[in-house]
Amino acid sequence: MSEIYQQLSTIIIAGEDEKAPGLVQKALDQGLAPLEILDNGLLVGMNEVSARFAQEEMFVPEVLLAAKAMHDGLEVLRPHLVAAGAKPIGKIVLGTVKGDIHDIGKNLVGMMCEGAGFEVINLGFDVDPEKFVEAVKKNRPDIVGMSAMLTTTMIAMGYTIKALQEAGLRDTVKVMIGGSPVDAEIAERIGADGYAYNSPTAVELAKRLVGAA
Amino acid sequence: MRTNYQINSGVRFRMLSKDQLQALFDGVLHVLEYTGLDVYHDEARDILQKAGAWVDDIRVRIPSYLVSRSLEMAPRSFTIFARDGNPRHDIHIGPGLAYFGPGPTPPNFIDIETLERRPFTRSDARIVAQVVDALPNIDFCESLGTISDVHVDLAASYEFAEMFPNTSKPIVAWSYGWDDSADIHKIAVAEAGGQEAFEKRPNYIHYCEPLSPLVSTFEALDKLIFAARHRVPLIFTPCSIAGGTAPVTAAGIITQAAAESWMGCVLAQTIRPGLPFFMGGVLSVMDMKAMIYSYGAPELSLMMAGITELAHYAGVPLWQTGGCTDSKTLDEQAAIEGSLSCFFSALTEGDLCHDVGYTESGITGSILQTAMMDEAIGYCRRITRGIEVNEDTLATEVIQRVGPNGHYLYDKHTRSHFKTEYWYPNLCDRRSFEEWQKKGSMPMRERVIARVRDIVATHQPSAVKPETEKVITQVLKAAEERVKDKR
Repeated sequence: MSEIYQQLSTIIIAGEDEKAPGLVQKALDQGLAPLEILDNGLLVGMNEVSARFAQEEMFVPEVLLAAKAMHDGLEVLRPHLVAAGAKPIGKIVLGTVKGDIHDIGKNLVGMMCEGAGFEVINLGFDVDPEKFVEAVKKNRPDIVGMSAMLTTTMIAMGYTIKALQEAGLRDTVKVMIGGSPVDAEIAERIGADGYAYNSPTAVELAKRLVGAA
Repeated sequence: MRTNYQINSGVRFRMLSKDQLQALFDGVLHVLEYTGLDVYHDEARDILQKAGAWVDDIRVRIPSYLVSRSLEMAPRSFTIFARDGNPRHDIHIGPGLAYFGPGPTPPNFIDIETLERRPFTRSDARIVAQVVDALPNIDFCESLGTISDVHVDLAASYEFAEMFPNTSKPIVAWSYGWDDSADIHKIAVAEAGGQEAFEKRPNYIHYCEPLSPLVSTFEALDKLIFAARHRVPLIFTPCSIAGGTAPVTAAGIITQAAAESWMGCVLAQTIRPGLPFFMGGVLSVMDMKAMIYSYGAPELSLMMAGITELAHYAGVPLWQTGGCTDSKTLDEQAAIEGSLSCFFSALTEGDLCHDVGYTESGITGSILQTAMMDEAIGYCRRITRGIEVNEDTLATEVIQRVGPNGHYLYDKHTRSHFKTEYWYPNLCDRRSFEEWQKKGSMPMRERVIARVRDIVATHQPSAVKPETEKVITQVLKAAEERVKDKR
């Protein structure tokens, strides 16, 4: 029994995405509890990946492949988790802001946050402030994540925060931002709660914002 | 399958045309045949005369056929072996291969704790060997100093005794004369398992330095004869100063230095046909304001490139020079001069590039400079490795698979290549501003110092055999006995 947990964490660390769904199914077939498969198998692997990345022992493509393996394993596991009444560690509404169509980095953040146990509602790119407000009203997330790649669209992150304030929703969520021109100073200036400079640190930030790390 | 498809494997540099190289080659033969050198060694003159040289008192002139034949006998490709059998520390000399290491004998050293300039001591030789052993892009070892805290005649013996157990990378050993050459050789032979075993797998290189202009000193030749008789791979390299001890022009200094070095080649090949031989020398300019021999001048790189091309044209490997500086400290000047000369040296595929870690125009050795250059050499090596073009690297299928507006981060093609296709720095900082700040906002200089101190605190080189330990103790004891009445 512990052997299959070991195998699950190993394939996550090795980023063997094609093996993940099959192995999760095998664990379910053995009658293991969905939450145990998550906590003792997949998350053990993902936590090790985070630790190794922090120690600069793993590279970003390896972390992303691990997240992909995690994502594909979760696809199989999720219905069983829901049926068993397991709750995600937090809910994130994510989008690239108005005027900006760069969404690769933002999608990586989404995938990795899912891997870490979050529920992610991905709004895509060129998302205007009103759409963010609507999504918050509808989904009641813990976090709103915004991305901008261009110095010219960075300003839209500030407008979105303002729109959340005007709708009376700002205090119900934490706001995190990222993207290549963004830094901590900008996060502070526009009133965001945090900034991350790459996808693995974004996951750490999200965990901190919901008090899970 | 393509036929007759031509591949340029790696980036290299060619400066001189075949006609220019032949002109230099003929110039060297002309100097050896008509001017000759003063040879201050009776036995050497005898050997050369018997081989066909013309001897007139101490002046020796060598006919060109004898020079050409000696160059022909010296191998272009051979291996210097790691003493512990670690194949990653072997040095394979041959076309397209370039290796790097420190240099010999400056009087001073930069203390790695106080960062002050002070006389070089016995423990510095150990530290240099240990750091060289750990640095991934430093391939052979020299000490960067002359030991000041032992009997003056024994500096080279102690230096080798300190370095040999602390690195398994091949050592380039200098010495004063026959006795200390024999000390060094005993230690190396003990580890190799006897003279015969050493001859099959030599584990160090012997360094001799004739004088410019055109003087073969007694000591240089005595050491050469020792090396040839014991089949120790040999470097015979003058250190010529353009405008001082050699013509001011690059072609002139190359011609004279080659003549000085090839005199050694003729003698060595006559004694021991096929002896692995590295042509010298170290060529640079005398700064006409400061009156120093410049180790940071662009002319050094240019002259070294010229003599490297001449050596390869003549079919012998070359003792290259780079990674050195006129700066007194680990600063921007040291980085510029050191990196550019490393890069130029790498582009010429100079076989063994030494003086990586010389500062203050060769007056002060600095292992910190060597460690900074280790990074520069890694960078240079990524460039000289070049671009591979084949079906897999062209990646047209991958481009098709990912398509417009996709990304390559998840693709297996990325996973299988990202570690080998890129060079990853050890010291150059690529972190975000915040991360750099979190790690202490360290400039390059501080990162270099921290790395060297960390290696000294943690790196364990592979040990020598217990019997070699014993031989080292015996050799040093006998050496002390030899000099006890000398002041």
